[in-house]
Amino acid sequence: MLTYIFKRLLIAVPLIFGVLTLTFFIIRLAPGDPAAFFIQPGISPNVAMQIREQYGLNEALPVQYLKWLMNVLQGDFGRSFSRAQQPVIDVIAGALPITVTIAVLTLIANFMLGIIIGVVSAVRQNSFLDRFMTVGALFFYSMPEFWFALMMIILFALKIPIFPASGLNEIGAEGFGPFGFAMDRLWHLVLPVTVLSINGAAGIARYVRGSMLEVIRQDYIRTARAKGLPERVVIMRHALRNALLPVITLMGSSLPFIFSGALFIEVIFAFPGMGRVTVEAIFARDYPLIIANTFISGTLIVFGNLLADVLYAVVDPRIKL
Amino acid sequence: MMNELRGRLFSEGCRVSLRLAAFCFLLLSVTGCGGGRGGASGPSAMDSTLVITSLGDADYLNPVIGATVTSSNIFGLIYPSLLQSSFDTTTGLLNYEALEKRLRKATGASKKPEAALARSWTFSPDHRTLTYRIRSDAFWDDGMPIVAEDFRFSYMLYGNPIIASPRQQYLAELVGAENGAVDFQRAITAPDDTTLVFRFHKPVPEYLALFHTSLTPLPAHYWKDVEPEEFRQSSLNQNPLGAGPYRLKSWKQQQELVLESSARCNLPKPGNIPMISFRVVPDYTVRLAQLQTGAVDVVENIKPQDFEGLQRAAAPVEIKTVGLRVYDYVGWSNIDRDEYRKSGRIQPHPLFGSAKVRRALTMAIDRQSIMDGYLKEYGELCSSDISPSLKWAYNNTIVPYAFNARKASDMLREEGWVPGPDGILQKAGRKFSFSLYTNAGNERRNYASVIIQQNLRAVGILCRLEVQESNVFFENLQSRRLDAWMAGWSIGLEIDPMDVWGSDLETSRFNFTGYRNPDLDHLCMLAKKKMDPLEAKPYWLEYQELLHRDQPVTFLYWIRETQGFNGRIQGEELNISGVFYNIDDWTLRPSATLAP
Repeated sequence: MLTYIFKRLLIAVPLIFGVLTLTFFIIRLAPGDPAAFFIQPGISPNVAMQIREQYGLNEALPVQYLKWLMNVLQGDFGRSFSRAQQPVIDVIAGALPITVTIAVLTLIANFMLGIIIGVVSAVRQNSFLDRFMTVGALFFYSMPEFWFALMMIILFALKIPIFPASGLNEIGAEGFGPFGFAMDRLWHLVLPVTVLSINGAAGIARYVRGSMLEVIRQDYIRTARAKGLPERVVIMRHALRNALLPVITLMGSSLPFIFSGALFIEVIFAFPGMGRVTVEAIFARDYPLIIANTFISGTLIVFGNLLADVLYAVVDPRIKL
Repeated sequence: MMNELRGRLFSEGCRVSLRLAAFCFLLLSVTGCGGGRGGASGPSAMDSTLVITSLGDADYLNPVIGATVTSSNIFGLIYPSLLQSSFDTTTGLLNYEALEKRLRKATGASKKPEAALARSWTFSPDHRTLTYRIRSDAFWDDGMPIVAEDFRFSYMLYGNPIIASPRQQYLAELVGAENGAVDFQRAITAPDDTTLVFRFHKPVPEYLALFHTSLTPLPAHYWKDVEPEEFRQSSLNQNPLGAGPYRLKSWKQQQELVLESSARCNLPKPGNIPMISFRVVPDYTVRLAQLQTGAVDVVENIKPQDFEGLQRAAAPVEIKTVGLRVYDYVGWSNIDRDEYRKSGRIQPHPLFGSAKVRRALTMAIDRQSIMDGYLKEYGELCSSDISPSLKWAYNNTIVPYAFNARKASDMLREEGWVPGPDGILQKAGRKFSFSLYTNAGNERRNYASVIIQQNLRAVGILCRLEVQESNVFFENLQSRRLDAWMAGWSIGLEIDPMDVWGSDLETSRFNFTGYRNPDLDHLCMLAKKKMDPLEAKPYWLEYQELLHRDQPVTFLYWIRETQGFNGRIQGEELNISGVFYNIDDWTLRPSATLAP
């Protein structure tokens, strides 16, 4: 398996590099100018030229590419155009932990909720509860997340004001002490994590239900019941463990989806995470930041897929890598 | 057996839950550690904090390079200014004020301009030399005195092409600028700590000389070791040293920037409200919800359809407006843009080349309906780009073209546009059909464009609506790739329209329509030559008549921008020159006893 992982990692290097090169050229071909902000009445036309000069945009495209390549090979992704010329690595270092927090909490909530709903639906197949949960899951699965987020804000921050509508912390949260600060942060994360996880959980619930229904019809389940094991043990130990095999692989592949979901969640809830950095970088034509973000998301997708494959082999002994 | 199993499951569940909780706590702590330098504020922090929401974060807290509106709002509170400016609502003129001198006599009751660093000024009779006397009792936050050399040093930064200041245009009249680079040795001198002299290469009206020489200074002793190449990247940009009523307390980028009242400020005094928090909230619905719950105090640009909801809000909200500075328009390409791009030759546009056709288009559009449906009482019909708020120059004799579809049809027929078999107007085999472009994400323009499309269809004109991403739209506009578009302008308080209407299409960067009228150029030139703006009034009146006659664009409506204020704010005076014009004088009702 180690050889397999090593091979996959080796292939990942040119793949990610290819994605970055493509991104480099595509964003430069797209209409729009990083110095466009400085083209407005009252600002000398020299400013846009001087800014382009500073950004190195006046050079020929192949020269820009070679310079960029040399810098990236030395681990330097350059400085952001739109964020006060901060090194893009610093911008990402500030934003990534926020997105990772949301992603990990969402992942946990996704799977916990999804598995519970899926198991109950399968065990009580065709009951009212099953139908109710199936319809509910489909309802949430097909709901646009940005709209759902706004509805949650209107409901739980405006009509019934129990959760904050935006931001990571309350005004003056630094004075609450470490525990109070953490609880305040958690309080601010309830709505966004709920929005992101309900949609994902609905999908996972469908997987779990299907998988469970398949497993509980197997002979070994009948055997378990026949030898007098309580239903709870039959379901939780014998059925669920086997039913979760295909679901576990979802964990790796759902990471990129959660990151892409964070794009609008962070804009709506005003979190300064990777999603907002990416959206703002695209609108500002901040080339270095767009490329660095592509690097992060590309790497996540490649590693997410690798993780899914490896997890599959780890949990299912029939799969050999 | 069952109980044992349950017990085991429970204890396993507990262990997992505990691990999960510990993990979550760790994650929260990791993300929480990146916080700012904010100290303990206590649970009642909101009582002494004014919370202002903004769409985006500040870029630089540095007046030389800060370019966003949020940056300007913030560094305006941190840094001192040479002069104070005030907008006279009875005349529409900007006034410049030093401690002991004013450009114009104040018309109403006015306070002594104690925030100004200049004690007074003298302007030479030839309008080429401006000498300031600076007060000697002003200090930077670190205790160092503010001296004339600080201004000289700062102007050299503003003029340095490596730094690329967006305010370098202000130096265009200084000696040397006529040859491409300001000669700082001669243009700005500081003979002693309290005397500052500016020299111009041509006679300059006094108001313009004051406007262009009152750029915000930086402390020379603090910035002197920063190389121009490092200026934009310097860490000093995150730790500004100012002398204004507020100073930076903490800055969590893209989240929140907190200013605290600066106790030692005497320009004019420490801010009344102990803390001001600028919170970044990109989404409009969320900003609005927070204003309604009282989580934030000020939200700018409230949409008229939300006023009713705000009146029912849990927190008392007041809607306030400033003067008319923004207008929407429909731009018509006056010239054949393809021909101009290919050969540089200027020919009238086949659809919009005639002023009579453009006038007919304006009459065909029911501007009043757009205002009634969207802006309501927060809009005003627009006839030119001189705002009714600039009363001294506004031509109130011009009657806006009324909506009259029949007259519009007649005028189009007189120009040779007659209905074809499909009902669409035709002339020499060409249909009157075009695409109207606008930028994405502007609800007001989307609303207006649908009405415009219906209005034009009623007179036999086929108009397709196209929405483009803002960057793409602006680039297409700049390179004159659009035949018709809908956009808006935010005007300056000084009238300077040559960039927008100048006949030289190479130098008039914002003349997207390709409008050319030598008479209008001449009027602008005559007006700019006058040393007293009031003497230029007749030229500006005629200028507006020309624009009204030629209709290079269809001016739609002026927009009265609306701001939502929490009722606990007191003492605010909104002004066309800015929403936060006198923010250091504001107070918060519950915190009145806390204010210093």
